[in-house]
Amino acid sequence: MFEARSINVEHKDLIHDVAYDFYGLRLATCSSDQFVKVWDQDDQGNWHQTACWKAHTGSVWKVTWAHPEFGQVLATCSFDRTAAVWEEIVGEGSVPGERGMRHWVRRTNLVDSRTSVTDIKFAPKHLGLLLATCSADSVVRVYEAPDVMNLSQWTLQHEISCKLPFSCLSWNPSLSRLHPPMLAVGSDDSNASSGGKVFIFEYSENTRRWNKPETLPNVTEAVHDLAFAPNLGRSFHLLAVATKDVRIYTLKPLQDSSSMQSGLSRFDIQLSAQCDDHLCTVWRVCWNITGTLLASSGDDGCVRLWKSTSYSQTNYLHNWKCVSVLKGDGTQAQNESASTALATPVGVMASATQSTASPRVIDEMSSPSPQQPPPASKWQAPVIKGRFQKMTWLGSDPPPPPMEKSKPFKKDLDFIVV
Amino acid sequence: MNGVKLEVQWSPVHVDKFITWGTEIFLYEIIPQKDALSTSITVSDTTAANLLASNSSHHYVKCVDIYPQAEPDLLLAIGQANGKVVLTTFGPTTFDSRGLPGKELTPRHARQCNAIAWNPFDTNLIVAGLDKYRAEHSILVWDVFKCSHHVIETKGSSFTSSSQQQSSSVSELARPVYELGMSEIVNSLAWFNFQPRSIIVGMNNKHLRMIDLRDTSRTVCSTPTKAVYGLAVDPHNDCQLASYYENQISIWDTRNFEKPVLTVTQGKPVTKVLWCPTRHSLLGSLVRDSCGVYLHDIRHTIMSNDEVEPSVLERCIQPCASSNITSFSWHPSNENRMLTISLTGTIKDYVVFERITLNSSPNSAILWSYGRRSLRYVTDKDSYITPEDISVKIKRRALNGYGLKAEFSENGDISEDVVLKRVWKWLTVSQSLSEDSNSSRGPICKYPGVRHVLRMDGNFQNGAASLKSELNTIPWADLCNGNGSMAKIYKSEDRDKAVLLCGWKVDREPNALTSFLSQLESEGSFSRAAAIAVFNLKLRLAVSILNRGAAAQEKTASITSNLNIVAMAVSGFSDDKSSMWRELCLTSRSQLVDPYLRAMFAFLTADDDNFDNVLNENGVAVEDRVAFACMFLSDAKLNEYIHQLMMNLIAEGDLAGILLTGNSNDSVLLLQSYLEATGDIQSVCVIAIRMFPSEVIEGTTVQMWITSYCMLLDSWHLWNQRAQFDILLSMCTASEKPPQQVFISCNFCGKSISAQMQGHSKGRGSYVRLGASSQKLKMSSCPHCRKPLPRCAICLVNMGTPSGLQNNNNTNSSGRGGCNNKLAEFSSWFTWCQSCRHGGHAAHMAHWFREHSECPVTACTCRCLSLDAASKVPSILSHQV
Repeated sequence: MFEARSINVEHKDLIHDVAYDFYGLRLATCSSDQFVKVWDQDDQGNWHQTACWKAHTGSVWKVTWAHPEFGQVLATCSFDRTAAVWEEIVGEGSVPGERGMRHWVRRTNLVDSRTSVTDIKFAPKHLGLLLATCSADSVVRVYEAPDVMNLSQWTLQHEISCKLPFSCLSWNPSLSRLHPPMLAVGSDDSNASSGGKVFIFEYSENTRRWNKPETLPNVTEAVHDLAFAPNLGRSFHLLAVATKDVRIYTLKPLQDSSSMQSGLSRFDIQLSAQCDDHLCTVWRVCWNITGTLLASSGDDGCVRLWKSTSYSQTNYLHNWKCVSVLKGDGTQAQNESASTALATPVGVMASATQSTASPRVIDEMSSPSPQQPPPASKWQAPVIKGRFQKMTWLGSDPPPPPMEKSKPFKKDLDFIVV
Repeated sequence: MNGVKLEVQWSPVHVDKFITWGTEIFLYEIIPQKDALSTSITVSDTTAANLLASNSSHHYVKCVDIYPQAEPDLLLAIGQANGKVVLTTFGPTTFDSRGLPGKELTPRHARQCNAIAWNPFDTNLIVAGLDKYRAEHSILVWDVFKCSHHVIETKGSSFTSSSQQQSSSVSELARPVYELGMSEIVNSLAWFNFQPRSIIVGMNNKHLRMIDLRDTSRTVCSTPTKAVYGLAVDPHNDCQLASYYENQISIWDTRNFEKPVLTVTQGKPVTKVLWCPTRHSLLGSLVRDSCGVYLHDIRHTIMSNDEVEPSVLERCIQPCASSNITSFSWHPSNENRMLTISLTGTIKDYVVFERITLNSSPNSAILWSYGRRSLRYVTDKDSYITPEDISVKIKRRALNGYGLKAEFSENGDISEDVVLKRVWKWLTVSQSLSEDSNSSRGPICKYPGVRHVLRMDGNFQNGAASLKSELNTIPWADLCNGNGSMAKIYKSEDRDKAVLLCGWKVDREPNALTSFLSQLESEGSFSRAAAIAVFNLKLRLAVSILNRGAAAQEKTASITSNLNIVAMAVSGFSDDKSSMWRELCLTSRSQLVDPYLRAMFAFLTADDDNFDNVLNENGVAVEDRVAFACMFLSDAKLNEYIHQLMMNLIAEGDLAGILLTGNSNDSVLLLQSYLEATGDIQSVCVIAIRMFPSEVIEGTTVQMWITSYCMLLDSWHLWNQRAQFDILLSMCTASEKPPQQVFISCNFCGKSISAQMQGHSKGRGSYVRLGASSQKLKMSSCPHCRKPLPRCAICLVNMGTPSGLQNNNNTNSSGRGGCNNKLAEFSSWFTWCQSCRHGGHAAHMAHWFREHSECPVTACTCRCLSLDAASKVPSILSHQV
């Protein structure tokens, strides 16, 4: 057992995003209180706030660091319909011998969106200083700073419109020149009938445009977050999606030129894992640096860690398993339901072009009718008095094993009746 | 259920009590789960509820409100279907003395009571909203204390009067303080929290009306709307109201009352809205037939031109997934805590978790937000997962210099991994083999795989043709029956080499096998040694190994398989195809746990040269299986087997396959597959650059591995390891050394001084360079034009000299001791700021910038340090100086 350490950030409202810099030694947080804070780690591993400023006039949704090659640069996006690029500079005119005061200045304000800007991410370094934003008016915008020394000049290079309001985006971090620049964008539209919610955009060097997006099959629930795993030399890409459950997709680029021409799927997309341990909405997902460990947070107030346990090369499927559950307050969840809750690897799914495979029934618990207690579960038999029933949940962690018989009736309670 | 809607409500004054009501009213107390009695009902993971009391004396309960004054007991006001408002308690309470319980406040005409509310300030006031009755008021405000005396009086006199008279007298006596809303319907109402005598009323299904009781003659303001149900006043902000109508929730601002500031449309009819008392502008809502509670976080954002635009962030929470929720109630003081009750009567004590955002650092820490004020994180030191992730392993191995050691086996030891150890060991074997066997054909192959040695790495079809081996029949040495038991063994030079490559030291010298086997024995792998002995037809040796193994096992008391009995069985070997021994062995073989013992018996009982049971025994190490195949399979079969095995190993990403693939292109596939299975980019990189010829290293695949690994090292700040890796890389590739990127040119003649320095040292040989300090002094001037070089900004000595602080003699002696052929100590190297071009000796600069951020040159305000992104890095210099 261990207890997580804590940092007292003192935001006045919900914290929407935390971001580590490239080295993991600086931290930026943003919040609904419209402030952005920057934290630095000292040699002992303690975090100290080194900057705090009001960045926007609305909730700041996301904050992200640029590669240090471009300087100490942050980008933020907000409900106030803008996105901003910030640079840390050292103030002028201080007394010699004293360490110059660092502070953050707004280098640019990107005001193209007509609605809330929901996510912002810097492109992988080798593509240059590129910035992608997505907004609730279903537009993905890609900006470029042509001169990396001049952060106040950004040109809107591409504007890709779609039909659904976007909530999150992720660049494919692959360093390989074989993989064209790629973006995954998710929508939090909750209407299942409006189709797929995750779009994959790929940049074509030949046409110098972003290709028509592909949608991931069977993601029709609202998507709250998605993240490409660091590629690290893999021949395929891993994409984690936070929706009603945690999903991990593998995208294997098809080298076949015929499929490229015919406009069919450019990837062999397979669902590698679908884990509903959070029982409810999953909010965020993030990969570790090697793309071997996935962390997710959900409405159950827990952080869950997922790791691949076995691997089959024939279809590039890892078998993902929950290896640790951390409660929100930092204690480890007592019951190691982790070990039993195996993420069901969904077998072979058709590639994106022929998405016929039906999604697994997600929630074992939602099906029983409200009139009767779910049969054969951990529910204690009802204590009936009048028309008032009480049910007792005996298990400490939800999914009820289908085996257990219902407990015998308890003797009636002695009620004090006035 | 059965038409009775179950409701739940926290007590506004008790932190641990709540009531539920349907047909009866129940009072519960929340207790920690660990104190739960058998009769308690569990309401969450940590809490249980005890039923304290129930009250079933009231029927047709339409609405209930709890007396908001802090008292030890609860006083309820119940609005009934006949319009009566009844005050009641659970059992005897302190209210009895005040005569409150049992008091009935009755309107003149019976009609349904739609809403009831205690005034939050003047807690003696209670307002009831009733249905319409002609020429009657429907908003009645009572003062429960003022009429108390009369009620008791009437009760006393009720013995004589009839019950009819009594009720009429009560209604007469308990007169409302205010009567409003003549001939109108009250749909819902609420008190304002900060304007103590004001109420907001939803009336007649068509308008909301704000009324100040101090001046009842006029309405303060009113607005036409259909959203008249479930009025709720924001506990933090009196100006903010919420109400609903069918699918719509309307949010109102009383300062701008004409139209709702915000309308939220839900998918189903709304049944309840409640403001969260612990957070600003958080509204909970419930819709019909749903198992979730919706949370609406209402935000007012100031847009660029000072317009305020409210927006709403929505969330749906599902406290209990199994049944529809009929009501919920926020906890009055605990943050984000609520109770829900479902159709089936299930009560849930639920804490709404704030959205957790999280991220992971390159250093394997995981950080997430907890609530509004704090972040929590775990680092790799917490070992939050076991076994540890590959990223942690890679970092540790990198710190230990994994892959950089010249000795292959040392790298294996650093890896602390069985598979990797075996690979590095094999590399050692392969290297030594290729060194001492002067391959007669083709270019020298540094790390040949078995397939290369057996000349199978060309076309698969022609592969068999290139391998020519002779068939030898060798008698079983230790069988003395002499009835011609023979084993068929294939021999060729290539096969011998392949067997050697597998690590079997056989046939070279007579004693090689025995020493190899005894080495295995000393490692404790008796069964493997015995199996290899049997494969080499040394039955007697195998039996003695097994016996020794049995003895060793007795000592350590590990009973995996009884080696004594196995030895006995082996010694009874007979070649007779129909012997009872053979039959028995075949049947009992499958019961052996040890794969080597299984393989051994499979070999002994094999007929018609069918060794599939040995070859496909996955527990046997790949090298043993391959060596075995090289001895006993015919050319064609061997080719097929090796090819098949290689394909399988590549598919599994099993690094043992490197034995077969060697440094061929198949190895790239194998490493790629291993990488995809494990994510171990580091091993893949270091093995690749140690093993592959330079043209493979320069291929796209390997180059991508290398860039990925370098990025990892960069983000961990492992600059030294990164530099060493780059050095190793440039040694392993045939390509030109990376060109010099920095030149120092003379300020006067513009010629490079460093090129001259290098040429200088080459001309004089390596001895001169270190010794003569006079030589160094001369370097303080440009070798071309003899003009002095720039001075160090700190010590003002011309560059190119050892700095004044340094003792020359010491430098030289230490320089001689270590075998470095540097031009100068690192600390006296040239360094300069890329921006202002000022600089000096590296050590001096490092020293200066430890305390300063500005350029040391007077009048230069360049903030050199802050321009350096890596300035926070603990400098390498500081360790050396």
